Amino acid sequence: MSRLEAKNLSKAFGGVQAIDDFSFSVGERQIVGIIGPNGAGKTTAFNLLTGVYPLDQGQVLLDDEQISGLPQYQITQKGLARTFQNIRLFKGLNVIENVMTAADPYSSYNLADVFLYSGRKRRRENEVRDMSRSFLTLVGLAGYEEEKPENLPYGLQRKLELARALASNPRVLLLDEPAAGLNPSEVQDFIRLIRTVHEKFALSVLVIEHRMEVIMTLCANIYVLNFGKLLASGTPSEIQNNSEVTTAYIGEEDEACLL
Amino acid sequence: MSIQQLLNGVSLGSVYALIAVGFALVFNILKFSNFAHGGVMTLTAYIGLAAALFFSTWLSGLTLFAATLLSAALAGALVGIVLERMAFRRIRNNNSPVIYYFISSITMGILMENIVTIFASSTFYSYPRFFELTVVNIAHVNIALTDLLMLVFSSVALMILLWVLYRTRIGLAIRALSFDVNTANLMGMDSNRVVMATFIAAGILGGIAGVFLGINYTLYPQMGQLIVKGFIASVIGGLGSITGAMIGAVLLGVLEVTLIGAVGAGLAPVFVFIVMLVFLLVRPRGISGVIVQEKA
Amino acid sequence: MEYIFAVLTFTGITVIGVLGSYLVTGLTGLFSFGQAAFFSVGAYTSAMLVKNLDVPFLLAVPAAMAVGLLAGFLVGYPTVRLRRDYISLVTFGFGEAIIALLNNSANLTGGAMGLSGIPQYTNFAIVWGSVAVCLALAVGYKHSKYGRQCLALRADELAAKAMGINVNRIKLVTFLFAAAMTSYAGVLYAFYTTYVEPGAFGWIVSAEWIIIVFVGGINSLTGSVFATLLLTGLPEMLRFASEWRIAVYCVIVLLIINYRPIGIFGEFELTLKWLRQLGKKGVKAS
Repeated sequence: MSRLEAKNLSKAFGGVQAIDDFSFSVGERQIVGIIGPNGAGKTTAFNLLTGVYPLDQGQVLLDDEQISGLPQYQITQKGLARTFQNIRLFKGLNVIENVMTAADPYSSYNLADVFLYSGRKRRRENEVRDMSRSFLTLVGLAGYEEEKPENLPYGLQRKLELARALASNPRVLLLDEPAAGLNPSEVQDFIRLIRTVHEKFALSVLVIEHRMEVIMTLCANIYVLNFGKLLASGTPSEIQNNSEVTTAYIGEEDEACLL
Repeated sequence: MSIQQLLNGVSLGSVYALIAVGFALVFNILKFSNFAHGGVMTLTAYIGLAAALFFSTWLSGLTLFAATLLSAALAGALVGIVLERMAFRRIRNNNSPVIYYFISSITMGILMENIVTIFASSTFYSYPRFFELTVVNIAHVNIALTDLLMLVFSSVALMILLWVLYRTRIGLAIRALSFDVNTANLMGMDSNRVVMATFIAAGILGGIAGVFLGINYTLYPQMGQLIVKGFIASVIGGLGSITGAMIGAVLLGVLEVTLIGAVGAGLAPVFVFIVMLVFLLVRPRGISGVIVQEKA
Repeated sequence: MEYIFAVLTFTGITVIGVLGSYLVTGLTGLFSFGQAAFFSVGAYTSAMLVKNLDVPFLLAVPAAMAVGLLAGFLVGYPTVRLRRDYISLVTFGFGEAIIALLNNSANLTGGAMGLSGIPQYTNFAIVWGSVAVCLALAVGYKHSKYGRQCLALRADELAAKAMGINVNRIKLVTFLFAAAMTSYAGVLYAFYTTYVEPGAFGWIVSAEWIIIVFVGGINSLTGSVFATLLLTGLPEMLRFASEWRIAVYCVIVLLIINYRPIGIFGEFELTLKWLRQLGKKGVKAS
C-alpha cells in the first residue's frame, strides 16, 4: 500500500516543460530517493507535491486521498511535511519557537483563551513547548532552545529544519537536499539521524539528494529524473549499474577511454 | 465624456506621469516606495517659485518659464543627491531589510515638508502669471496654455528619460541594477554611482513635477502628499515598469477628471479607491508589470 | 500640572493606537496605512450614537468597536490576500475613503467642521487603565500560537504555509483584533477632547505609528510604549520647541534607523523575570 502516490505529474513554465509525466510512489515506512542532474526538476516536483505550484496535469494522493489542488497549508495539515534546499528558518523567533510554530496550527485554544489567560492555553503551551524540546533533543539541539536560528552553524540549522518539520506531525516527510553543504562526518551523522527519525515515527520519507552516500545507504527505491522526465527507477544497485543514468550525470564514455 | 474632459484628464495625467516615473525609477532599483519624493517635489516647487521671482526682473513669457523649470530641475537633482547620501546610503550598505528604506523615506518626506512649513507656511504663495495668453483654442477645443505646456514638457522629459534608459550606458547600468544590485556590483558596476544617478534623474523629474503642481494648484507645504498619486499610478501601470507607470498615470488622470465630473471632488477619492480595489483583485500585476513567482 | 496630565492622557490614547500598529505591522509585517482610520470610525460612531441618538455611553462603546470590526473585515478580507506592496495602497485608500465619506456627510457628521459638544466621559485614569488592559491582551497574543504564527509568516510566508499555517486567516484575525482595539481608542479620544474632525487621522498618522513601532524595537511591546512616550509625549511637554518639534522627531527617527536599526529596545521585553534579576544584581553590588 503506498502512502504517497504521484500520478503523471506535468508542469510547464512558459515554454519550458519542467516536469513531464512523472509518476512515483512511496510505500509505508519506505525511504525513497529522487536524483538527477541539476535542473532536472527535482525541487519542482516537491513544489508540486506541496502545492507551491499548481499542477498542469496529474494528481497526488496521500493515503489514497487526493491532496493535489488543496492550498499549501491544508496539504501540510493532511500529513505532508518538508524541508527546504535553501534553509528557510523563521528569523525573529528563537530555536524552540521555530519548532513550536509547526505545532501551533493544531492547537485548539482560541482568542478568548488567550485574552483571559486561561488554563487551557497555559496547558497547551506547556505541552507544545515540551514536545518541541523533545524534538530538539532528538536531533541533537538540546541546550540551543533560546538561541537565534541565524546564529547556529549551518549543520545545526539543517537539523533545526528537520525538527520543525517533525513537529507538524507528518505521515510523509519530504527532504530537499538535506545534506547539502555538510562535511563528510556531518553527512554520516545526518544519515543516522534520518534513520532514527524514520524508525521512531514510522514515517515514509522522500529524499532529493546529490550526495550518493545518502541515497545509496538509505533508499529502498530510487527515481532518476532528467529534463523533467523519469529516466530510470529501481533499487540502488540497479541504478548504479544503469548506463543511461551514468550518461545523464557524467556524459558518454569517450572511445579513447575504452582500453 | 467630452474631448475637453479627455484633454484635461490627459494633461493632468502627464503631470502624474512625471511623479509616477520619478517614483518608479527608485522603486525598480531599490525595491521600495520612495515617499520622500513628495518632499522633493514640495521643496523644488518653492525653490522654483524663488527662481521665478528672481528671474522675472530680466525674463518673461516662455524664457522665464524655461528658466524656472531649469532651476527647479537643478534643485531637484541636488536634493536627490543629498537624499541619497543622508537617508539611504547607510541603509543600503548595512543591507537592512526593505522596511528601513520605507521608514527613512517617509521620515525624510515629513522632515522636508516640515522645513518648508517652518520657513514658508504663514503666507500663501503662488506662481506669477507667465503668459499673457491663458487659453488656447485648438480644433474648437479650449485648452489652458499651462496645461498644454505641461503636456508638452512632460512628454519631452519622459522621452529623454526613456532615451537615457535604453540608449546610454548609464541607462543600461540602471536597468541592470534593477534586477540585482549585488550581481551588478560583482560584475564591476559601481552601484553607488548608479544609484546616485537614479536619484538625480528622479530628482530632476520631481523638480519639473513640483513646478507644474505649483502652477496648477497653489503652493502649500503639504503638496508632497500628491506622491500618493504616483504610487497609485505605478500600481495600476504595474510595479516594476517605467512605461507602465506612465500609462497608469495618464489613466489615473483621466479617471479622476471623469469622477470629479460625475460625483464631485469630495467623493472622488472614495470611487478611486473602489476602482483601484477592483483593479487589484482582477489584475494585480497591473498593466505591464512583472509578477515574480516565488520559488521554494 | 494639568497640562502634563492632558498630554499624558493623549499619549496614552496614542499608545493604544500604536499597539494596534505593533500587532499588524510589527508582529505580522503588514504595512497598514489605514490604522488611524479605525480611530475615526470608533470616535465618530460612538459620538454620533450618544449625541444624535441618545444611546447610553456604555452601549455606544461596544457598538463603536463592532462597527470597527465590520470595517476591519470589509477592508481586511480582500487585503490579506494581496501582495505586500499592495496592502499599503489598499489600506491607505481605505483611510482616505473614510475621511472623504466623513467630510461629505455633513448632516450626519458635521462634515469638515467636525463634531463638537461631545460630553466628556473619559479621563486620565480610564485611559491608562485601558492601556494596561490592552497591553495585557497584546502580551497574551504575542506569547501564544497567534503571535508565533504571525512572526513566522512575517519572516517567511512560503515556509509558514509549508508548516501548515493558515496565513490568510492569521493575518485577518490580527487585523481585526487591531481594528477593534484602535476603534476603542477612538472612543476614548472623542469623549476626552469632546471634538472630532475628519482629517485628524489620515495616512500620515498611520505612518507615524508604524515609525514609532520600529523606533521602539522591531519586536518589542516595551519599545512601542516607550517610543510613544518619547516621540509623542516628550515633544508635547517641551512646548518651547513646538515649531521644530516635528523636525526633531524626524531627526531622532533617522538617527535610530541609521545607527541602531533594530530599534531602541530591539527584541527586548520588560518582564518580571528581568526585573527580579536586576534586583538580584543590585543586591549583589551593595
